[in-house]
Amino acid sequence: MNNYILEFKDVWKTYHMGEEKINALAGLNLGLENGSFTAVMGPSGSGKSTFLHVAGILDMPDQGVFRINGKETSKLSVKEQARLRRDEIGFIFQRFNLMSQLTALENVMLPMLNEDSSKAREILDRMGLQGKYDKRPSQLSGGEQQRVAIARALINEPSIILADEPTGELDSKNAHSIMKVLRDLNQEDGVSIVVVTHNPTSAQVADHIIHMGDGQIVNGNYIS
Amino acid sequence: MNLNKLAFNNIRRRKLRSILTMLGIIIGVATIVVLVGTTAGATTALKDETNEYMYDIIISPSVSSGSYMMDPETVSQVYKLSNIYDIKETSTFQEYIGTEIVTVVGTQDWKSVEIKKGSPGVVVDQSIADKGYGIGSKITIKDQELTVTGIVDADSTPVYVDQSVAKKIVDGKVSAISAQTKGDPKTVAQDVRKQVEGITVETKSQKVAEVQEMTNKSLLFAGIIASIALLVGIISVINTMLISVMERTKELGILKAIGFTNWEIKGSVLFESGLLGFIGSVLGVILGVLGSIAVANMLEFTEYLPMMTPWWLIIGSIVGATLLCVLAGLYPAMRASKLNVVEALRNE
Repeated sequence: MNNYILEFKDVWKTYHMGEEKINALAGLNLGLENGSFTAVMGPSGSGKSTFLHVAGILDMPDQGVFRINGKETSKLSVKEQARLRRDEIGFIFQRFNLMSQLTALENVMLPMLNEDSSKAREILDRMGLQGKYDKRPSQLSGGEQQRVAIARALINEPSIILADEPTGELDSKNAHSIMKVLRDLNQEDGVSIVVVTHNPTSAQVADHIIHMGDGQIVNGNYIS
Repeated sequence: MNLNKLAFNNIRRRKLRSILTMLGIIIGVATIVVLVGTTAGATTALKDETNEYMYDIIISPSVSSGSYMMDPETVSQVYKLSNIYDIKETSTFQEYIGTEIVTVVGTQDWKSVEIKKGSPGVVVDQSIADKGYGIGSKITIKDQELTVTGIVDADSTPVYVDQSVAKKIVDGKVSAISAQTKGDPKTVAQDVRKQVEGITVETKSQKVAEVQEMTNKSLLFAGIIASIALLVGIISVINTMLISVMERTKELGILKAIGFTNWEIKGSVLFESGLLGFIGSVLGVILGVLGSIAVANMLEFTEYLPMMTPWWLIIGSIVGATLLCVLAGLYPAMRASKLNVVEALRNE
């Protein structure tokens, strides 16, 4: 039994653009161990986003096997997929994707099953957002919004955080501090983290860097 | 977090649009309450006015009996019949008051006697009152001395007395008995003719039946017209919810990405449209009741106001409009739950 949090076995994903077929994932083989911190880099169109969508169960592979925590996602019902996203996965997006009408605290509590706000406050405190519970996203800086988004990703204690260009909208100082937050989460809480990024400085924070190209791994952790 | 909280938020966030959408429901429901309520009130009023015709059969002495009144034996036979109910009787006879011949009417229903002055008991026409029989004075009918208690507004020159008094004066004889029937009036009428001798039985006149039928039809017609008004409101709810879902494509994508199921998302859209319907219909009922009060005042109809705003109409309008709005949210909710997450997240 391996200890992979994410496991791709010959995964294909093809998009049709009119007549043209684009293989976003072309026989991807990859295993990421539980507790690892991985940065995924590569040019636009290399398949990074599709990789992250399949990893986050937002998209299904056309062919091949993808497992998260040992569970093969294509064998789950739509409802089970949603439950797995809620319980096991925390998403962080480039544009934060907070609900503009909700306060910071409400945004963090959104995926929660109960209405107990103490845990959400605790996580916001840890993100350095004491006293900003009732601020709406428009009243917060980009760095602060991304911290709220990280708090939201953490609220259900996921086993993995998937981040899509989390520093893409931030200046270098904020970008660095967000990466440090992720670093700490990985080291202190043992949460597995995958960050897709263009930014080499951000990528350096990770334990290892995978480069993608044409829907495959160019270098990195192969499954033999 | 419960997604229903977001639904409240959405309605509050887009105040103008929510109000305009609800306005459709408000106008629709208010129209129903006023139109159906006024018609229901008018129907009750009409039934009250035509109360003396509100019988299924009327029993009177037959010509062959040789009398214009039924003797006490015949009357008690009628009262024993099992297939009639709500039995009313009157003993009516002629009497000289001074030199003038008047009709003395025994009544069991003082509500249908329009007393102008005084109170029920012994009520005379104005022309008789003018001849020295005003309120408080004595009047002698067939050796019985009675005290006049009121004055009636009538075309003919009657004296109204309580039926119990009238019946005693004529030794328990009765001129006519009206009653409701259990089952078809014609069948019951035939049955009564067979069982009791010396009487004629007539069923309610065709004309009265037609008038009653018409009031029922007008109630239905008012309902249909008002429902069209509500339908317009419901369509605006469908429209608003569709726009709302399309506008929130990205938001719904985020909700899916962080783990909400399709059912939860569908439920929140349905809840939101139902909420629009509920608030709209409550406001509509309030407006409708105010409208009914205004109509009642205009028609000098205020005593029928409770009949114009019955509970079945108020509760029915709110429950009905809310359910219809939930239905209106079905298609938008389906659109929302079928969104592709990856595409929705790309949406700006």
